[in-house]
Amino acid sequence: MPLDVPTASYALPDGVDPPELLAYLGKRFPVVAEPGASRSYTVLDTADRRLRAAGVDLDLETGRGGPRLVLREPGGRPPLVADARRPRRNRYLLRDLPAGPLRERLAPIVETRALLPLASVEVGAQLVRVLNADDKTVARVSLATPAALVGGGDGGTVPLTPRVDVSGVLGYPKPLGQVTAAVRRGPKGGLIDAPISLADEAIAAVGGDPEGIRTKVHVNLSPDQRTDRAAVAVLCDLAGMVEANLPGTLADLDTEFLHDLRVAVRRSRSVLRELKGAFPPEPLATQRDALRWVQAVTGPTRDLDVQLLDWDHLVSAIPVERHAALAPVRTLLVRHRAAAFRALRRELRGPTYRQAWDAYRAFLAGDLGPSGERPDAKRPIIDVAGRRIRKVYRRMLAMGAVIDATSPAGDLHELRKRGKELRYLLELFGGLWPRRVVKPMVRSLKELQDVLGVHQDREVQASYLRGLAGELAKSTGGPAALLALGVLVDRLDAEQREARDAFAERFDAFAAAGQQALVAKVFS
Amino acid sequence: MRIVATYNIKGGVGKTSAAVNLAALAAQDGLRTLLWDLDPQGAASFLFRVKPKIKGGGAKLVRMRSDVTDLVRGTDVEGLDLLPADFSYRHMDLALDAAGKPTRRLRKVIAPLAEYYDLALLDCPPSISLVSESVFDAADALLVPLIPSTLTVRTFAQLGDFVAGEVDRRPQIVAFFSMVDGRKRLHREVVAALPAASPDDVVQTSIPAATEVELMGVERAPVVVSAPHSRAARAYRSLWDEVRPRLGV
Repeated sequence: MPLDVPTASYALPDGVDPPELLAYLGKRFPVVAEPGASRSYTVLDTADRRLRAAGVDLDLETGRGGPRLVLREPGGRPPLVADARRPRRNRYLLRDLPAGPLRERLAPIVETRALLPLASVEVGAQLVRVLNADDKTVARVSLATPAALVGGGDGGTVPLTPRVDVSGVLGYPKPLGQVTAAVRRGPKGGLIDAPISLADEAIAAVGGDPEGIRTKVHVNLSPDQRTDRAAVAVLCDLAGMVEANLPGTLADLDTEFLHDLRVAVRRSRSVLRELKGAFPPEPLATQRDALRWVQAVTGPTRDLDVQLLDWDHLVSAIPVERHAALAPVRTLLVRHRAAAFRALRRELRGPTYRQAWDAYRAFLAGDLGPSGERPDAKRPIIDVAGRRIRKVYRRMLAMGAVIDATSPAGDLHELRKRGKELRYLLELFGGLWPRRVVKPMVRSLKELQDVLGVHQDREVQASYLRGLAGELAKSTGGPAALLALGVLVDRLDAEQREARDAFAERFDAFAAAGQQALVAKVFS
Repeated sequence: MRIVATYNIKGGVGKTSAAVNLAALAAQDGLRTLLWDLDPQGAASFLFRVKPKIKGGGAKLVRMRSDVTDLVRGTDVEGLDLLPADFSYRHMDLALDAAGKPTRRLRKVIAPLAEYYDLALLDCPPSISLVSESVFDAADALLVPLIPSTLTVRTFAQLGDFVAGEVDRRPQIVAFFSMVDGRKRLHREVVAALPAASPDDVVQTSIPAATEVELMGVERAPVVVSAPHSRAARAYRSLWDEVRPRLGV
């Protein structure tokens, strides 16, 4: 960014206090110390820390004129600021924010995720301006003594590392270099770069995980690791993701908690199925049934989430004059979603889920029994996973080869389900093989799955909307809504046909001779 | 980025004072603000202790041979940057005339900065010239300080006619009274009459003739920074609060 100014953050070491550093700077530069100020704010980010990954800080401040959001990016540019209402249900969705540059900046990063309060911070700061011969400010040094507020302040405070932030002034690079060098040398042996950001430190201080909820499995596997141990390690990591997403799902903070919970469950089921030879048959069947039940009780809500998330996209393609007529359809979808969610919450808060999950955790933590009835248990994971990748890939080739324009939608759905199996195997165990082999395979698989996903989603959506006809006919504005619904279903059918038309090309890429040879060679 | 120009054909009416104080208030309110000192006298640059000099001078800037982002300087007010004046701006009319489509040129020159700022305030030199016409084309709004006198009111009417008749992109015109001396009867009468007669064009808030404003040249800082509780600073705050919604920032 051409208008960026460098900034640097340092940790004030033990034994050095802010007045000492201030005196140190005062001996070397003409400085003006502004009156001390304190600031309280709440760190906002999505549960999976998307803003952090994008290098963006978003704070909720309470100042003159009520709460406001302040978005800062690296480069020392002035922050983006927007007035905000108090968050509803302790979260902000994009639609809760006022239109303007701040929301526009957040939109592509946050998407459908909620912005959540992750930590409250109180900072006492002393700002020092460094001047040039004209008494013009040419650098700023901020000496901050922050503290994290536990339980929003009710549980006291946790002192955080005092920090020194140095920022330049646009157009004055030379003095900034001199000030930075002096701060680095600092009193008593010098200052060190701040090891982690203030936001991360505050989140950790109040018991949160600065990394946020992960969607990728972090397990170090070695090729010759026993398959049962590798499988359990991966399953434990996935179970952690289910547990991390459960509170947000039950609080209905945003749609992605449920989505990520379901993905973690689906991946777990996939591991249990594909590596079943590593587990004793009986407890395995029970655990697979339990996870299938979780998928079943969460499925209707997710299907309706997809309907509502796609709503604007679908409606945008039909004539504007019919939009108003579709309002009863959306109202019905929202009502159905609310009912489905109530059922989901009842189940996931109930004894069936609790007992099933406790049993599943005990299964993962316990002794899997003698390996005699578990033929793959002791075999190296690279052999077992490689064999499964090869087999699922070959099975997909056979299934895809017989799909043509007349094949029923169910055939494409079955192929998609196999594709998910293969994708999870590659995502969870692909690190055991060279990246140059796995990456192109994942890419061609993903492109195929995208088409199959659209095909199946549109099938489910059209079927669901058709099923609304009876209920819709009885509602106010029903006849007009039914006509508009027909247009919407036509649109879904058209997108499904487009997906089917694109299938052959995507499948050919996935089934290319070169890729087949590579799979046979690498995963043998 | 909204572009607002402080303009009056006359000098010494409080254009620069308004520009620097409103720019500082905008930045204090969290708007990413740029002040472009277009006056070759460089008073706004002087007030912010920035050298009134740009690399390559005004001609190169107008020909867009300079990277305008390289010329911006930070000020002592956080969130407020300055595009400094240069003495060569006294020949800006000639430079604009030599460039293609001169009346649209300043809009083009400032365009690369649009993504970095919410508000650009243009502090214009007093005159009616090619520079003014280019400013009228670039600006979304003209903020016009008026000294309360019969002649000033007449000049304001002429400006309205000129913008309505000669400028393609007609900027909104918002006027306010400046350097008002409450002891003078004429000032009191004009200040009372014009906003009532033209409520769409003239705002209620007026800026008093005050020593603190004159002292800005000594303090070298906007009065809203150096004396934030003074009568003049409070008047600028009221002015900003009143014009901000009208300017759409």
